[in-house]
Amino acid sequence: MADTQTMADTQSITYNAAMGQALVEAMREDDSIFVLGQGVATGGWFGAEKGLADEFGTDRVIDSNISEAFEAGLAAGAAIAGMKPVINMGFGDFALIAGDEIFHKLAKWRYMHGLNVPMTAVIIFPIGTMNGAGPEHSSCTEVLGMHFPGLKVVVPSTAADAKGLMCAALREPNPVLFHSVNTLSFQRGDVPTGSDHFVPIGKACVRRPGSSATLLTYGSMVEPSLQAAGQLAGEGIDLEVIDLRSLVPIDWPLILDSVRRTNRAMVVHEAMKTAGPGAEIAAHIQEQAFFDLESPVLRVAGKDVPLPQHGALEALCIPSVAEIVAAGRQLCLG
Amino acid sequence: MNDQHPGKNPGGPAPDSDLLKRMYQRMALTRAIEQCMAQHVRNNRFSGWWHPGEGQEAAGIGASAAMRRDDYLFYQGRGCSWAIGKGMAPGPILGDLLGKPSGSTGGKGGGVPHWVDYAIGVMGEGATLGSVYPLAAGAALAAKQRGTDQVALANFGDGTAARGTFHETLVHAAAWKLPLIYFCENNEWLVGTPLKQVSPTENIADYAAGYHIPGVVVDGQDAQAVYTATAEAIERARAGEGPTLIEAKVFRKHGHYAGDPQHYRAPDYLDAYRDPLALLAARLDEDEASALWAQAEAEVASAYQAAMAEDDPAPDTIFKDLYYG
Ligand SMILES: Cc1ncc(C[n+]2csc(CCOP(=O)(O)OP(=O)(O)O)c2C)c(N)n1
Ligand SMILES: [Mg+2]
Repeated sequence: MADTQTMADTQSITYNAAMGQALVEAMREDDSIFVLGQGVATGGWFGAEKGLADEFGTDRVIDSNISEAFEAGLAAGAAIAGMKPVINMGFGDFALIAGDEIFHKLAKWRYMHGLNVPMTAVIIFPIGTMNGAGPEHSSCTEVLGMHFPGLKVVVPSTAADAKGLMCAALREPNPVLFHSVNTLSFQRGDVPTGSDHFVPIGKACVRRPGSSATLLTYGSMVEPSLQAAGQLAGEGIDLEVIDLRSLVPIDWPLILDSVRRTNRAMVVHEAMKTAGPGAEIAAHIQEQAFFDLESPVLRVAGKDVPLPQHGALEALCIPSVAEIVAAGRQLCLG
Repeated sequence: MNDQHPGKNPGGPAPDSDLLKRMYQRMALTRAIEQCMAQHVRNNRFSGWWHPGEGQEAAGIGASAAMRRDDYLFYQGRGCSWAIGKGMAPGPILGDLLGKPSGSTGGKGGGVPHWVDYAIGVMGEGATLGSVYPLAAGAALAAKQRGTDQVALANFGDGTAARGTFHETLVHAAAWKLPLIYFCENNEWLVGTPLKQVSPTENIADYAAGYHIPGVVVDGQDAQAVYTATAEAIERARAGEGPTLIEAKVFRKHGHYAGDPQHYRAPDYLDAYRDPLALLAARLDEDEASALWAQAEAEVASAYQAAMAEDDPAPDTIFKDLYYG
């Protein structure tokens, strides 16, 4: 991958372990970082914090009760007081339980107090389907962070980015909603060793260069999009696949450069279609590059329904490779 | 370990007379701002709502007098006794209320006030009630992790004691013995609903028992009694003994917001009112008290004039301070 091409050594580890590695390395360098959440001291529900408590003790790796509003509010208060809290919220769905703390306090505190001071806090939201977790444990809630200015929003799609974006988030002087992708948790990838592997927040990357159309995606849909692009290549359609990686700030220059070159664009995400991130992206593209477009900007997104508990029904609700391929044809052949 | 003696001095260190004078001076400033705002809201347009705190000043003044400069304060937005008590000057306070650049928030934190001054531990305000609890706990945890002996105080109203965050936070603060003070100003009203209609207990402090922490009821009209109760709670918190829930019984003299016709209140409700300023003045030399009052009035009048003379914030203010940098 273009962005992780580096002199550094790499190591094959899972996506979650990569996040954990970034945390360990940063905590060694910075006493003000602490981790809190449900079961984090025992390795977390998803294992990203494994071993943290052994190394740093339970004063810095703190198990909390079932108390999402408290966890996020505590992060805000600790950050206001100059600490760098990392909170594992367990599921993105729980953003709503801690809505006041995340979208009013973390997002607005400095703004409403007229303060230009650093405020570091990383809120980890595991998002997306994981084969039947049901309507309240599978949501893609990343769009919420786009609608409440003051937060940064990232969604890594590879193990290397999981580490690189976590490294960046831990040094970021603004609160970050860090969305980890449930289906990628245990997927392995080559991850640069060392604590200086930064993936800058706000920078997208081209996962597959192409000339027929621009496919904009992130998180769980990067891999299916690349597969779809592979299939379409056999039909003479050459998709450029861009992994957004950050939704706030979003890398408009890279997006618009690509669209102006390919003259066609589609957005693919697992989050629901209506008022999802793709709605904003499509609207922005037509505002900025309408006269460069040969056809309407398409969206392939999650169905506008609560996600069913039944695994087979759930699969019908999120974009498949076949749907992406079909949209790619429609986009390029009309 | 619930020791509830309404109106009685719960013991602990007695304030010396310099402290009494300082409390009186700050309460006088608070009262002068109350009077200034009452007039201002009557005669001018006002963005948002002004929630008058007149009559309730002793709670914030007494409690903040027991706090150290570097202790963290998270307050609720009735009146301005907490910000003044912690050491803010009338200028930045009125500046915010009038939406002027000289306000502590640069004019952003008007209607429901967001006064802030990190240097003296005034950490700001969340206008969604009940946000104080976890935020103050976060600051308390920060102090604990750094090994300083700072404490954090969360101030809230009786109505706000029903928020879920009250419980979520106190469960952890009690279990972890965080240096956190819960300070309730019970004025027996949440807007126009009397607390007794919606509360299973007469005292909010009763909840403390469930968390195995001390719950203290104190006469909130008496700044000296409030000081003493708070000083004791802070001493416990600094010694690593964890949180205390203090409930100050206070009196909301005016409506919920300036202009509230208060149809819901008995016509003679003011009969029960005891003026906290007069109560404290009676313990000071009379001339000294009146000199302090005159000074406070003059200081507030000139701060008000200065703020009124200012231009509104520049339009580009709306894009400032969203992200650091
Ligand atoms: C979460 C939330 N709910 C409702 C309100 C609207 N509100 C503002 S003040 C208030 C009454 C609060 O009562 P109390 O906590 O007793 O404080 P008091 O007004 O008596 O000082 C209400 C309901 C709010 N600001 N935030
Ligand atoms: Mg009340």
